[in-house]
Amino acid sequence: MSSDAFNSTTALLRMNPELYTVWNYRRNIMTQTMFPASEPAEVNDALTEDLSLTFTLLKQHPKVYVIWNHRRWCLENVPDGPTEDDPQGWKMANWKKELFVVEKMLDADARNFHAWNYRRYILANMANAPPPSTELAYTTRKIEANFSNFSAWHQRSKVLNTLWEEGKLDEKTSKQSEFELVQNAMYTDPDDQSVWIYHAWLIGTGEDASLLHREIASIQELLDEQPDSKWCMESLVRYKRLLLRKHRPSLSVVEGEQLLQDCSALLAKLAETDRLRRQRYLDILQELQRPSS
Amino acid sequence: MDVDVIILGTDLRNSILAAALSKAGFTVAHIDNNAYYGGDDASLSIDELRQWTSERRQTAHISTYLLAQHARFTSISSSISSQSQSRQFSISLSPTIIPSAGPLVDSLIASGASRYGGFKLLERVALYSKPGFVKTVPGAKEDVFKSTELSLLDKRRLMRFLMFSISEFEGKGEVAGKEEMPFLTFLRDTFSLNQALANAVAYALAFCSTGSDPTLPALQRIRRYLRSAGRYGASPFFVGHYGGAGEIAQGFCRISAVHGGIYILAKAIASIAVSPPPSHSQPSAVHPPPSTSDQKVAATASTSSRRPITVALQGFPEELTCDVLISTNDYLDANLGSQNTRIANDTANASRSLARCIAVIDRPVVFRNDNSAAPAAPSANSGEGLVEEPQGDDVYSQVDTALLIFPPGSVEGGSTTSAVNVLISGEQSLATPKDHWVLHLSMALITEPLQSAEEIMRPYLNATLSLASPRSEPEREATISEPLSVQPLHTVFYIEHPEPSPSSSPEGTGSHLVYSPPPNSTMMPELADSAVANAEKMFWKITKVLQEIKQKRRGVEEGGAETVIESFWPPISDTSVVDQDW
Repeated sequence: MSSDAFNSTTALLRMNPELYTVWNYRRNIMTQTMFPASEPAEVNDALTEDLSLTFTLLKQHPKVYVIWNHRRWCLENVPDGPTEDDPQGWKMANWKKELFVVEKMLDADARNFHAWNYRRYILANMANAPPPSTELAYTTRKIEANFSNFSAWHQRSKVLNTLWEEGKLDEKTSKQSEFELVQNAMYTDPDDQSVWIYHAWLIGTGEDASLLHREIASIQELLDEQPDSKWCMESLVRYKRLLLRKHRPSLSVVEGEQLLQDCSALLAKLAETDRLRRQRYLDILQELQRPSS
Repeated sequence: MDVDVIILGTDLRNSILAAALSKAGFTVAHIDNNAYYGGDDASLSIDELRQWTSERRQTAHISTYLLAQHARFTSISSSISSQSQSRQFSISLSPTIIPSAGPLVDSLIASGASRYGGFKLLERVALYSKPGFVKTVPGAKEDVFKSTELSLLDKRRLMRFLMFSISEFEGKGEVAGKEEMPFLTFLRDTFSLNQALANAVAYALAFCSTGSDPTLPALQRIRRYLRSAGRYGASPFFVGHYGGAGEIAQGFCRISAVHGGIYILAKAIASIAVSPPPSHSQPSAVHPPPSTSDQKVAATASTSSRRPITVALQGFPEELTCDVLISTNDYLDANLGSQNTRIANDTANASRSLARCIAVIDRPVVFRNDNSAAPAAPSANSGEGLVEEPQGDDVYSQVDTALLIFPPGSVEGGSTTSAVNVLISGEQSLATPKDHWVLHLSMALITEPLQSAEEIMRPYLNATLSLASPRSEPEREATISEPLSVQPLHTVFYIEHPEPSPSSSPEGTGSHLVYSPPPNSTMMPELADSAVANAEKMFWKITKVLQEIKQKRRGVEEGGAETVIESFWPPISDTSVVDQDW
C-alpha cells in the first residue's frame, strides 16, 4: 500500500512540484514505512534517486522553495556507510555532487538566489569545502560575465568578510581593489542598482571621512558625464548626509552649509525626475531641513 | 527540355532564387559555365583557384561568360604552387560573415537549406595596431567592463553610444539632421568618443570602408549586428563551413533540385534566342519587343503555347526553352544586355570595386594584445596572488576563425582613406586541412586604382603575416622591413569590379522576359543578407511575370483561381513535398 502511495506522490509532484503537502507526505512514507524496513544501502539508494528527481524538477522549476528543501532533507538523512570503517563515505559522495549541481543551476541562471543560498549551505556543510579564496574567484567570474547580479555581489561581500576576519586578506588593500572594481561597473552601467548597493556596503558606516570625500568626488565626476543618473544623485545624497552625521565636527560651518545645499538641490532634482519615489525624496528633504537636535 | 525559368549562374543570389522558385512550384533549369557551384561566390580548391586565375587572365575566350569575367577580374597576379591536399581547401571568392539574426539565417531555416551546411561562430574581431600586435574590440557590456585599456570615461561614453545604437534612433535628437554626416565625425562630435574608440566603432563594429561613410547606414548596421549578438554565442557573426557563401549556394541548389530543379554545370552557352510574342512572324534576338498593349491584343489571336526563349548549350544535345530567363550579367552578350531588365536595388549603395588578396599559410595567426597604452587595470583579484590569472599566452590568443581590421592609415605603404578587412579561416571552419589557414583580404576602392592589386594589398598581407607566429623563434617584434619568418604557400591578388550598372533599359522598357538580379553589397557582413534581399525582390517580380504568362496562355477569358503565392518560402509546416535527403 505504501509503495502505491509513494508512487502516487511521485506522479503528483511531477505534475506540480509546489504541492508541499505532498512532499511532506512523501517524506513521511519514507521515514515511517520505507526506511525502517530497509537496509542502509537501500535507504541511500532511495535518497540518491530522490536527489535525481529533484534535479530534474529543478531544471524546469528552478525557483521553487520546497524542491530545494527536499534536497537538503535528503542530504541530511543519508545514513552512515557504506561500511563501519567508512561511515562518511555515502555522505561525502552526495555532498560532492551538490556543488556540481548548484554550479549547473547558476550557469543556467546566475541570478537565482535560491541557488546561491543553496551554494552557501553546501559550502558550510560539506567536508573539504574549497577555501574562501576559490569562492572569491567564483564570484569574480560571475560578476565579470554580467555584473547585474545582486546575489553574486552579496556572496562576494560575505566571502570577503570571512577572508578579512581570518586575516587571509589585508582589508585595506582589498577594499581598495573593490572600489576600483565597483567604479568600473558604475561607469560601464550607472543604472545598475546592484553595483550601488555593493558600493554602499563598501562604504559601510562611514567612519572614514577621507574615503567618503574621495568617493563623493568620483561619483560627482560620473554625474557630470551622465547628468540624468538617478543612482549617482541618490548616492551623493546618502554619502553627503553620512558626512554630516558622522563628521560634523571636522567640517567648517561653510562646508556643512554647502553639503546641506547640495543635498537639497539633488533631492529636488530627484523628486522631479524619479516621480515614482517623489514622496520619499521630499521626506528626506524635510528631515534635512529640520534644525538638528 | 522545357521549363518555366532558366537561370544562368549558380551564385548565391541565383541559387536562393532557384530554391524559392522550385519550392513555389515552378520548373527551373539552373546552368553554370563553371564545373562547380557558386559562380562568383564559389568555394574553390587550390587547383580550382589556379585554374580560375589562369582562365581570367587569358585574353582570347570562347564564351561570353569568360570574356565578361576577364573584364571584371583584373590585375590578377598569383603564385600557386602544387598542393598535396588541394581538395581539402575551400577558398571562397566572396569571403562573408553572416549575422546571426537576419534574412540569410531566416532563409536558411525556412527553406531547409540549413541542414546542408555547418557553421562556425566567428571567434574574435580585432583592430591592427602595429607589427605583431592588435587591439581587441569591445562589442558588448561584458567586454567594456573587463577591458583594461579603456579609461573610466571612455567606458561610459562607449556604453552610452552602444545603448543608443541598439535603440530606435531614427528621429532622435542625436541623429536628426546628421544622417549623411561622416560617421567618424558623428562619433567624435555627438558622443565624444576619442580617435581610437571612434576608429574601433566605425571600422570594426560598423564595417565602414572609409572615414566619410555616412552615419545613418552605419548606425543601422551596428544595430543589426548588436541585435545578432548572443543568439548562437557571443559573436554576432558566423562563417559557413567549406568556404561559406559557395557551400551555402550549393545548399540552396540542392533544395531546388529536391523540388524538381535541373542542374547543368560545366557547359558554355552556345546561343540564347528570345522571340517576341507570336504576333510577329519571325523570332529575332534583335528586334525590340512591342509594348504591353500590343501584347494583349496579340495574345487573344494566338493559339501557340511555344516558350519564347531558347537556350542552346555547347556540347549539350537538347535545347532548353523557357518563359523567363534570369541571368547574372556575365552570361549575356551585348545584344541581350540591351534587352535585359535589370532589377534595381533598394539601397542607394553603389557596389564598389574591391582590391583582393587570398593567401594560404601554414602558421597560425596570433592576436597578441597591444597593452602599451593601457591605463592601470582594474583587478578583480582583491589582493595579491590569491587567484591565478592565465597569462596572455600565444596558445590562448591563437585564432582559427577571426576577423582582423586595418583602419585607414594603420599600415605603412597602405591606404590613408580606406579600411581593409581580413577574414582568417582555418580548420575549424573546414576551409583548410589541419595546420593551414586562408587569409582573405579586401579593400573597397573609392577611385580607379592607379596601382596593381598586388601593390595595393602587399603591405596589408605583410602586416597580417607579422601576426603569424614563426616556427621556432620565441616572441620577437617583427617589423615590415625585416625579412619575415612566415611566407605564404600560395597567394593571389586581383581587383574585382562590380557588375555593370543598368545601362540601356531601366526597369519597365526591357523585354520583360530577361532579368538580371541587382548586385550584392560588397561589405563583408552585408553580402549574404543582401543576396537574400535581391533574390526575394527577383522572386516577387518573376513569379508575377510567370503567372501573367500562364494566364495569357490559358486565355484571357478564363479568369480562374491562380495559386496565390503568399510568402517567399512556403510555411515550414508544409509537408506536401517530402524532402528526400540526398
